[in-house]
Formats: sequence, C-alpha cells, structure tokens
Amino acid sequence: MFALTIRNLIAHRMRMLSTAFAVLLGVAFMAGTLVFADTLTSTIDDIVGHANANVDAVVRAPEAISLSYGQNGRLVDADLLDTVAGLSDVAEADVQIRGYAQLVGPDGQPVVDQSTATSFGYNWSTSDQLNPFQLIEGSEPVRPDEIVIDHAAADSAGYSIGDTAVVLTSHEPHTFRIVGVADYGDRTSQGGGGAVLFERDTAEQYLAEPGRANAVVAIAADGVSQEELVDTIKGAIDAATPDITGSEVEVITGQALVDEDLGGVSGAIGPFRTFLLVFAAIAMFVSAFIINNTFSITVAQRSKEMAMLRALGASRRQVTTTVLIEAAVSGSLAAGAGIGAGIGVAQMLRGLIGLLGFELPAGPVVISSGSMAAAFGLGVFVTVFSAVLPARAAGRIPPIAALRGLTIEAVGSTRRRIVIGAVVTTAGVGTLLAGLSSRTVGVVGLGAVATFAGVATLGPAIVRPAARVVGAPFALSGVAGDLAVQNAIRNPKRTARTASALMIGVALVAFMAVIGASTTASFAVSIDQNFNGTHVIDSGGLDVSAGFTPELADQLRATPGIDAVSEFRITKARLNDADVVTDLEAYDAASISHLVDLGVVDGDLGALGSDGIAIDRDYADANKLALGSVIPAVFASGDTHLTVRALFDGSEWLGSQFMDTSGFDALVPDGLDYRVYVSGDDTVVQRVATGYSGTRVLDRAEFADAVGSTIEQFLAVIYALLALAVLIALLGVANTLSLAIFERTREIGLLRAIGTTQRQVRTMVRDEAMIVALLGTAVGIGIGTFFGWAILRTLEDQGFNTLIVPGTRLVSIAVIGAAAGAITATLPARRAARLQVLEALATS
Amino acid sequence: MTYLTAPPATNPRTLGLRPAAAQVIEVSKRYGRGDSEVRALDDVSVAFAAGQLTAIMGPSGSGKSTLMHCVAGLDTPTSGQIMIGETDLLSLSDRELTQLRRDCIGFIFQSFNLIPTLTAAENIALPARLAGRKLDKAWFEQVVDTVGLGHRLKHRPSELSGGQQQRVAIARALAGRPEIIFADEPTGNLDSRSGAEILAFMQRVVAEFAQTIVMVTHDPVAAAHADRAVFLSDGRIVDDIDHPTADGVLARIRTIGA
Repeated sequence: MFALTIRNLIAHRMRMLSTAFAVLLGVAFMAGTLVFADTLTSTIDDIVGHANANVDAVVRAPEAISLSYGQNGRLVDADLLDTVAGLSDVAEADVQIRGYAQLVGPDGQPVVDQSTATSFGYNWSTSDQLNPFQLIEGSEPVRPDEIVIDHAAADSAGYSIGDTAVVLTSHEPHTFRIVGVADYGDRTSQGGGGAVLFERDTAEQYLAEPGRANAVVAIAADGVSQEELVDTIKGAIDAATPDITGSEVEVITGQALVDEDLGGVSGAIGPFRTFLLVFAAIAMFVSAFIINNTFSITVAQRSKEMAMLRALGASRRQVTTTVLIEAAVSGSLAAGAGIGAGIGVAQMLRGLIGLLGFELPAGPVVISSGSMAAAFGLGVFVTVFSAVLPARAAGRIPPIAALRGLTIEAVGSTRRRIVIGAVVTTAGVGTLLAGLSSRTVGVVGLGAVATFAGVATLGPAIVRPAARVVGAPFALSGVAGDLAVQNAIRNPKRTARTASALMIGVALVAFMAVIGASTTASFAVSIDQNFNGTHVIDSGGLDVSAGFTPELADQLRATPGIDAVSEFRITKARLNDADVVTDLEAYDAASISHLVDLGVVDGDLGALGSDGIAIDRDYADANKLALGSVIPAVFASGDTHLTVRALFDGSEWLGSQFMDTSGFDALVPDGLDYRVYVSGDDTVVQRVATGYSGTRVLDRAEFADAVGSTIEQFLAVIYALLALAVLIALLGVANTLSLAIFERTREIGLLRAIGTTQRQVRTMVRDEAMIVALLGTAVGIGIGTFFGWAILRTLEDQGFNTLIVPGTRLVSIAVIGAAAGAITATLPARRAARLQVLEALATS
Repeated sequence: MTYLTAPPATNPRTLGLRPAAAQVIEVSKRYGRGDSEVRALDDVSVAFAAGQLTAIMGPSGSGKSTLMHCVAGLDTPTSGQIMIGETDLLSLSDRELTQLRRDCIGFIFQSFNLIPTLTAAENIALPARLAGRKLDKAWFEQVVDTVGLGHRLKHRPSELSGGQQQRVAIARALAGRPEIIFADEPTGNLDSRSGAEILAFMQRVVAEFAQTIVMVTHDPVAAAHADRAVFLSDGRIVDDIDHPTADGVLARIRTIGA
C-alpha cells in the first residue's frame, strides 16, 4: 500500500503542490517566529550578560518589585565601596551608577530615537574587569565636563573626539566635551547606541544623587567563591555600619544578578513571541482548511481509482490509510521546506518589527532543534489531521463506483448542516462574549475559532443564495459571468470551504480595522470632551518608560502665560496587598483637575501631599476604601503607606489611582516625565519647549492625530502579519479552481467547440474566483465587524464609546479581496483557455 | 458510380446539382515521422452537399473521426484545403475558427453533450449568448417545438433521459442556424429505441429546415437513415453510396473488413 501511495504522489505531484505550499507557508511562519524569538533572546542575553559578566558580588538596595531591565531601583550609599574595596577577598570593586542620559546630536535631535528606546548614562569604571565598555579611541573621562560615548552613537551622530555635545538628563540640559569613544564588548553599542559615560562624581550628580550609587560591584580574589565573597562582604558591612537594615542593603552573587537580568529579558520577549505565534497559528488554521479542501476534491476525483482498489480487495482501512500516508508524506516534505523558509521569514519579521520603530540588536541567527522540531511536527500534524475526514470518505467509496462515471462530492443533508452550524456558531459567539466580559484571552480565542468553524459549517447551505447575490453583477455582465456563478454554486461544499479559509483572515483584518477606527474616534471624542488643556508634550515614545526631563514642566510652571501644568509619570507598584502589580501614575495633583475632567471630586486633590493618593470610586468600592483609608504600597524602592485623600469619578485619561508628583519623586527617584499636560498660550508653550530636544508639542488636534497615526502604524503591522493567512487562502482559491478545471476539462472542451472564445473561458474562470473571493471577504467583513462591535461593547467603560465602521476601508478590503482572487485565477484561467478542444473532448 | 479519390473538379458532387456546404480537397493528416508515420487521412477529397444527411462510416482507426474534426475546424490537417461555404478553414486564426464554429457550425456529441449547470432551454440558447447575438424568439420556439420537450425545458441535463439530452443537443445545434451540423456517434450512448427516435428526428430536421448534417457512425442502422454514406478505411475514402440501406451498408462493411 505504501509503495502505491508514493507512486500516486509522484504521479500527481502537481495536485499536491498547493497543499504542500499551504503547509510550507504555515510552517515557515511558525519556524520563522521561533527562530526570530530565539535569536532575539540569545542576542539580548548576550548583551545583557556582558554588562555584569565579571561581577562576583553585588551590594545594592533590594528591589521590592522587579522592574524591567534598565529601570532604576533604589540607591545605596556610595561610601560602601570603601568598605568593600578594602577586603582581602576582593580583587577589584567599583560603584555602578546608571540613569537616564540622552546624547543630543549636532542637529539638535536626540541620537537615540526616544520613541523606541531609552538611553542610559553610566559612570566610567576605572576597573577594566568591571567596565563593560572598552576605549577604542581617546581617553577616559576624568573631569566633570568630560564624557565618553559609544562607538555606534559616535558613528550615527558624526561626533569625534574633542567635539562638544548636549546631554539630556533628569536635570537641565548640559554641554559636555567628548574625550573618548568606546565599544561594548565585541559590539559597537549595547543595542540602539547612545550610552553616555561620565566620571564617577559627575555620574552621581546627573544620574543619581551626590554620594549615592545604584550598586557596588566586586570581583573576588583568586580562590574565593562568589558565595564566600558575598558572606565576607555582608560581614564587613554589618561591622562597619551596624545600624544598616536588610531592607536597605542586600548582597547577592554575580550569578544571581546575571540570572535576574536574563530573566527580565525572557520576560520581556515572551509576550512578544506569543503575539507572533498567534498569527502563525492563524496561518496554520487557514492552511488546515485548504488542505482539507484539496484532499476532499482529489479523493472525489479519484473515486474511480479508490473504488478499483476496493474491487481488487483493499479494505476500507487500507484505502483510508493510503490517503493518510499521502498526507503525511506531503506534509513532511512541505514542513521540511517550511523550516528552511522560516529562516527567511525570521528576517522579514525583524524588518516588520523595525517598521514599528523598534530597533533590534543584530546577532547570530539561532536555530534551536527544539523549535524546529515543534514547527515541523505541527506542520505534519495539521496536514494529517486535515486529511482525516477526506481519507475516511475515500474509505467509504463502494467498489461498484469503479464501474460508474466520475462521482462528484456528495452534499450532505442541508437541514442537519444548518442546525449544527447554527448551534456551533451560537455557542462560539456566546463563548466569545463570555470571554470578553471576563477578559480571558484563551476563551475569546476559543469562541472565535468556534464561530469560524460554525460559519464554515453553515457555509454550504448559504453558498447558493449568497453566490447569486454576490455574483449578480457578473451574471449580468454576460454569459461567461453567468456560467461562473453556476460553477461557483454547483459544489457548495467546495466553494464554502475555499471561501471560509479566506473569511478567517479577512474577518481579522476587518476586526482590526473596526477596532482601530473606533479607538481613534473614541480618543478624539475623549480629547474633545474630557481634556481641558491646550497642549500635550511627549517624547513620541510608545513605551511608558520613554520620557524626558522633569525640568521642562518646572520651567513651564514658572513661565507667565501658562495657566496649568501637570506632568504624567508612571511606575510599577503593588497597592493594598493586591496580587497584581499596577501602573501607578503621578500628576501635579493641584492642577490635574483643571486639565482633565475627573468628574466629582471628594476630598482635596491639592492636599495629597507626599503620602496621599487619589483613587476613583470604582476602585474604592471594590476595595472598601474611603477618604482617610490607609493602604500599604510597595514600590521598587521599598514599602510605605499611602492615605486616601481624594475620590474621583474616574476617567479614561488616567488610571484608578494616582499620587502627587512630590510624593512620587521621593519613592521613584530619577523619574522622567512621560507626558506633560499644559493649558496656556500656544506661542509661550512652543517657545519654552524649543529648548528641550527629544520632546514634541502637540495641540489638541495634533494630539488626536498623533494617537491616530500610532494606531495606524500598529494596524499596518497587524495587517502584514495577517497577510500570510490571506495569501494562503488565496492560494486555496487558485488550487480549487485548478482542480475544478481538471475535472471540467471535457465541459470546457464542449464550450469551446460550440463557440466559446478563449477570452470567454478566461473570464468564466476568473469570475468564479472573484465570486468565491467576494463570498469569503463579504462574510469575513461581516464577522469581523461583529467581533469588533462585541469587543468594543465590553470595553465601553474604558472610554471606547464610539463604534466606527470604517466603510471605505471595508469596501476596499472587499475590492482588494476580489482583485486578489482574480489574480490568483490567472494561471488556472490561462490553462483552461488553452485547453486543446479535441483533447479536452476526448477526456473522460 | 463510385468515386474514390477523384480530383475535385471532375467530381460531380462539387460541380453538383446541390451546392456543397463543405468541401474537403486533397486533405492529409499525418502523425509522427519516418517509419513511425501514421496516416490518419491520406489525400482525402469529398464534398458534403447542402440539405443532406451524410453518414461517414468506417472501422475504428479508419480516420472518420479525424475527417470530421478537420472539417469542423477542431483539428488541423497536415496538408490540403477545407472549405465551409466560401471560407477556407486553414487560413483562419484560432479566434476566427472559434467564431466560425459559433456562427456556421453546430455540434452533436456522443455524450456529455450539455453543460450540467444550465437548464435545457439555457443550453439551447447558449451559443447565441456566447456570440452575443439576440435570440431569434420565433425560431427558438419553432426549434423547441420540433424537439418536443415542452415542459422539460426548465430541467437540468441530469434530470433528462439520454434521448432527451440528445434532442436538446440537436436543438442547440439548430438554434444557431448553422450551415452545417456535425454529429459524432449521436446514438452511440443510447438504447436502440431512443437511437431510432433521434435518427428519425435528424431526418426530419434535414427535410423540414433543409439543414446539412454530417454524421460519423459505425452503426449500419444509423447510416441507413442517411441520404448518403461515405466509407473510410485506412485514411482513404473507399466507397460512397447514395440512399444506403442497413443491409447494403453491412454488406459494404464486410467487404472493407471492418
């Protein structure tokens, strides 16, 4: 049986080509995502690991909440270095100081695009072992006005030794002289580039506080283990400063520090990888439809051959097995090729993410056998699984069919199909809505899959009427179009499966279009109704860790012609012993109510002070809090208690809790402003902000546009990721048509014999493709719009109050879908038109 | 009198009492080269008179189907000349040939004769629609009337018997008022009663509408319905009988050795 299958496969390799291609694309996407994520993780691990590669022990303030890599925790006394450095177990020791520092280029613009990366300043360690940077040119910084910059920044900004450059820190912008250029290990920078290195005292002043440092790091003397060194240092600190507590200073091994940093990396890349894998899974899901369809059609076309096998004594099971082996073999070949293509896909993904503005560090491509095996296995599994039903259908072909003509696929009972389809669709929609209201992504996904499956089941029952509606313009355009409509509905199951594959991708595209348009519109409405300021100043950054110096807000406050100013900062904190860490915000509490509509406020926002917090009423009710309640709060810098001093109605402009910037400053040292809200005269605001590069001033309309274009940018990437699923579905349209033409060879010959021109045959095939594509896109747009509506309904309380159905965009999706369908039909149409009339007529 | 491969000018049928609807002049069709060369048609000349039902007979491989395919413009001869009315087929491009098939030629095949997705009436109207011509209503009704399908016109081919399907196919061929209709084993897939009905129907069409029909068949009974029978063997015309009878045809076939 196996030999027969292989011969079959070889004989009909063209037939399996598109199945193979669908599997190949799906696997390539999956493998590409894994290669991309593995490579990125390894590259960043390499970069992050290098920073503390030689460190054996670290003295630092314990982090009560783990912040993402690079964010600052609490500081320690820099004098601890003297205690540590004097120990005989210590070979070398130095302080580590890091903080926000942005090198400004000769053009006045920040060297590192702040919208995509934050750049850091460090102290230049005089220990070669502890300094991850190595000078390649010039000298170390020794004077307060001297800096060393990294090689990448020097290249991209065009700076050379001796130039002066402005550096932005959390203090006022200051001009320094570049005395050296340094590499970071075997790289020219840590990543994006733009590290600024100061001598120690200057680093303390600009990046931390005088006399304070982020950590003291040490290298053990020969023969001393990391653990021994940690114990020695702990003992020495206790002896030197007996009153210091464990909550102020901790000593950990270098290995523990590196592990912690690397854990942060995988924690940051993990969600990103999952995000991409979701799209790979969608592509695989669509592939499954195409594979199932191809096998169904080919089994039907080969029913005579199958029946012959049965007549010769093959059992049902043997016939079924033949088809499954065929699936396994073609699936394996395609999955193997897909893994190869995956490496190319990884590069494309990298470029795509680059479009979003994230500059990713380059590194050697990592191809892990585990990831490859997973992608390969999934590809083979999906192929075989999709072929199970057609294989069973093959087994059911009775031997007598060998004596009859070509059997076209039977269409099952319509009523049963409608009932099952309706039940599955309803259950899917119900699950989806339940998932949305409970905010469980897995349930939402399950609901969406069930909805798609349900609609696909309903498909064959609705193909007839739907194709007549969609096909009406084609039928009116002439006889070829009319024949195309008839062809599209002659096998509703086949048409439905083909259209369903397209429906999935299109539904998701339409869904995103609705969400995007509605979000943009809701935001515009919200600016209109709830924002009372005149300007928003930000760094253009997507990430809340991007920001700019608080000096700007202070200077605005001090400028006549400005009515109200509030900075907007954000940090991680655990409030009220909650399980989850929240994003706690900070504003100028006295001014924020003039800038943003907070509804009715109880208590006094102006009196939040350094230990007060304002909370919204929903949060208060949920946690049984009232004015005067004291809640425990854990920050990266340590534990404290906050008193509820104001209650407000809640606003989509800010979170459920916020502090005044004065109190926040003490708890979150070195904080940057993510945004500044201003109310004041335009020329004054613009004039003040001009002095701060790396910021942009947006008036109300510009702010709405900026948010809109950020959403558009994000949508573009999502569309690109969905494009593969749509492409696979379009391949399916082409494949179904090719198989149909093969099946209708004689009929096409007859049409040609009685006077159909080649052009008319081409039109007929192309129109059929367009009808199938339009069916898929129309239903997809319908479902996508519905999904969009459903999700917006559940998010209504978060400010998504406007449902916009972007008509033009949806219509263009349909037009593009139909056009793409017509393009995919080009080859099958040409083949049909070029059939030799006599040969076609002689086909049985 | 028997004309084997007489030159066209001396053939009384081409000078004829009746004008020829189609003429085949010194046509050869060869496949392969050298030793493996097969002559499907070997210097064949024949004319098909208008308003007649002509049967082309011969054993399998005699070249009768090839001859019909060449005359109908479905196949291209290696050499020779083929005229449909005043038109020289070999000078036409594929597009012009398609147009000719649409406007001047009708076809009736052995089976799979109709487009399965269209109703009987739609099948009959199809060539006119393909050509973008307005359907001649009166003519259409006359044809449909002759076919005698009446209430079955709205049915699809799968709902019709073989004989009914074949009658629809003849109606379709007639609807375009072609100069000549080619029928390839039109009764080959039918039982003898339906077959006889179809043959009688074709005779009627020839008589009533003065339609020219050329029919390829190996059935002597079918040939007996024709006005004339042309016999082929090994790619050559070996006999030509007017008003054949079934017995006469049978006798003739035996001598050819079919």
